[in-house]
Amino acid sequence: MNRRHALRHIALISGGLALIPSCDFGKEDILTAYDKLQITPSLKKLLASISDTIIPAGEIKGALDLEVHDFILVMVNDCFNEENQKKFSQGLQSFSSYIKESSGKAFDQLTTKEKEAMVLETAQLKGDDSEEGRTKESIAYFVNTAKRFTIQGYMASEYIQTEVVPYSLIPGEYNGAVLISDLQKPRVNG
Amino acid sequence: MANLNIKSKQDRTYQAIVIGSGISGAWAAKEFCDLGVKTLMLERGRNVEHIKDYPTTNMLPYEFPHRGQIPEDIKKENPVISRCYAFREDAMHFFVKDTEHPYVQEKPFDWIRGYQVGGKSLLWARQVQRWSDFDFEGPARDGFAVDWPIRYKDIAPWYSHVEKFAGVSGNRDGIPHLPDGEFLPGYELNVVEKHFAEQLKKHYGNDRHMISARCAHINGNLDFYAQQGRAKCQNRNLCQRGCPFGGYFSSNSSTIPWALKTGNLTLRSDSVVHSIIYDEEKGKATGVRIIDRLTKEMEEFYADVIFVNAAALNTNAILLNSTSNRFPNGLGNDNGLLGKYVAFHNYRARVSGEYEGHSEYTTSGGRPTSGYFPRFRNVYKQETDFLRGYAAGFSASRGAGADTSGVGMDLKNSLLNPDQYGPWRVGSHMMGETIPKESNYVALDPNLKDEWGMPLLKISVDYDDNDEKMVKDYIEQMTEMFTKAGFTHIRSSDSKQAPGLDIHEMGGVRMGKDPKTSLLNAHHQLHAVPNVYVTDGASMTSTATQNPSLTYMAFAARAAHHAVAESKK
Repeated sequence: MNRRHALRHIALISGGLALIPSCDFGKEDILTAYDKLQITPSLKKLLASISDTIIPAGEIKGALDLEVHDFILVMVNDCFNEENQKKFSQGLQSFSSYIKESSGKAFDQLTTKEKEAMVLETAQLKGDDSEEGRTKESIAYFVNTAKRFTIQGYMASEYIQTEVVPYSLIPGEYNGAVLISDLQKPRVNG
Repeated sequence: MANLNIKSKQDRTYQAIVIGSGISGAWAAKEFCDLGVKTLMLERGRNVEHIKDYPTTNMLPYEFPHRGQIPEDIKKENPVISRCYAFREDAMHFFVKDTEHPYVQEKPFDWIRGYQVGGKSLLWARQVQRWSDFDFEGPARDGFAVDWPIRYKDIAPWYSHVEKFAGVSGNRDGIPHLPDGEFLPGYELNVVEKHFAEQLKKHYGNDRHMISARCAHINGNLDFYAQQGRAKCQNRNLCQRGCPFGGYFSSNSSTIPWALKTGNLTLRSDSVVHSIIYDEEKGKATGVRIIDRLTKEMEEFYADVIFVNAAALNTNAILLNSTSNRFPNGLGNDNGLLGKYVAFHNYRARVSGEYEGHSEYTTSGGRPTSGYFPRFRNVYKQETDFLRGYAAGFSASRGAGADTSGVGMDLKNSLLNPDQYGPWRVGSHMMGETIPKESNYVALDPNLKDEWGMPLLKISVDYDDNDEKMVKDYIEQMTEMFTKAGFTHIRSSDSKQAPGLDIHEMGGVRMGKDPKTSLLNAHHQLHAVPNVYVTDGASMTSTATQNPSLTYMAFAARAAHHAVAESKK
């Protein structure tokens, strides 16, 4: 095995960091772990940053600590049809230019508050039949998809389900009339 | 050489052969073994041993790479099985994929199959409601199909027999057309389900009921079930993965290990049954030809009595493929009706809604069942413009949700401390009786064959006008009942799903009194070949509205005892 093959092998088993040259993006390589998406390392980094804005670290870990962006890409790559994969990829690719145009900065240069505002704003974008409208629609589709999978990937993670809100395979006897006022759950501070 | 052959033939000879290890086949085998009959049980799929072969049973949500969802490329390749509610990441290894075992759809039919030891008993919904004479007398009263050759009194003791062993939880509801059985303590209805039951009583008197559905889960008499190695249901609701507690009844957890313990059972998996061997001189069936699934070699096994329990449509296929000079059109098929009068359950429509009342309550824990709404239409007399009627499932649920409108720390804290209670959600789905017709049939394709050289099954089954009227009536009536119960935001839908997705396909080898119009007699013997019995869904003369598995189990146990009694004559 030559060095290049060895590197690729290691990258594949380490989860998607293999870089295969591609002409689609000229300068940048495409990540092969998500073979149905056109994801470059910088797009993946951007997605990570967006997921971390959606669920940040605080007293307990956030989405970035749990690499939820990898879960998002796996779900879109494996469980979406081609049309929705395309829409997601287009939205992700257009996201940074939209941010630049409306704020004058790259997403990573924004403050936390500004980032949050941009995620909320882009999730609400409405599309129409123009090219710009279609771009806006794909951005909103991407942001809402990313948010949905960030929530799912974060809440259904090993960390949350073992250390924060333990998941029980055995839920106990059924009670069909529990007074909500009697429920006392310790508050978890994020 | 001759001696070797004799020995080899002796080695392959049993007193009984049961084809199929699903819910009915394993019951027949268990009864035979308890009665001291040396039994061979053949299963076309791989072996699945209780607990050992449930790879996902204790997996946690985060251990599934797609959190339960089926990847798109699998869905695309397997559109039929992907429509099944239980075909999910945690149980997909127990379902037949479209690509593995093709069949011919003359009309759209979603054929849901489980090819493994235990069959679909690993995957069933575990609902076990008894039939009554209002069901057995249906065809004779309403003039369709043929009269059942049996009545409730013939099968009632066998319902009791299988209920006690399998473990059935339920309440004694005292409903004439849904007889009570041998029940372990029933599961509780929640506060809104009880409200709905009370409202039905108030508005419809004693005509319409909502009860806790009887289910094949252990909820008491624990020492008795410990003898089977089974324990109390833990309310996990992960049944489709196979239960490590044996909390619900399956062939794998109950009847098969029990039969193996007697020393009388030989279980041969990976045995695709080709046909039943008919001996013209003796005038009876003498054995079964199989093709080994892995080596593709043909082999023969012999027995005095043969039970066909391959699951409704495959039982039809085996009999159709069992041709001889005496039976050129399939075993026992003198009247040409084999494969015809196939029916199913109409599961097309749903009604859902919300309830603002009882807003101070929610539920906790889990339970393996929900509400059941027995048939009320045309029970005592014909009263609508369609024949028969429908039962329905019903449940109410409520849980705490989180406000997910924000982002950042607000969203995070809201997700970690869910405290948003919306209204109760209520939902119902219909389970309609369909009328068996000659035009709903299965046959063997004359040209296409599978990997084992077996002809593909051609399925031609469709809804009719009676079904359309029933869908309409269910939606109207359930909407009215929901309205009277104070439910709001009531929505109804007709999925128009193809027959088959109900997984209650029945008939083709129906029972009846007259050999001219039926295939099986009152004891499930082929009229023309009495040492061949069919006790699975294929034997059904009509479908009623109840989930059918309990009735197949009772049929199988009853017929096995009959076969043993006959052999002693």
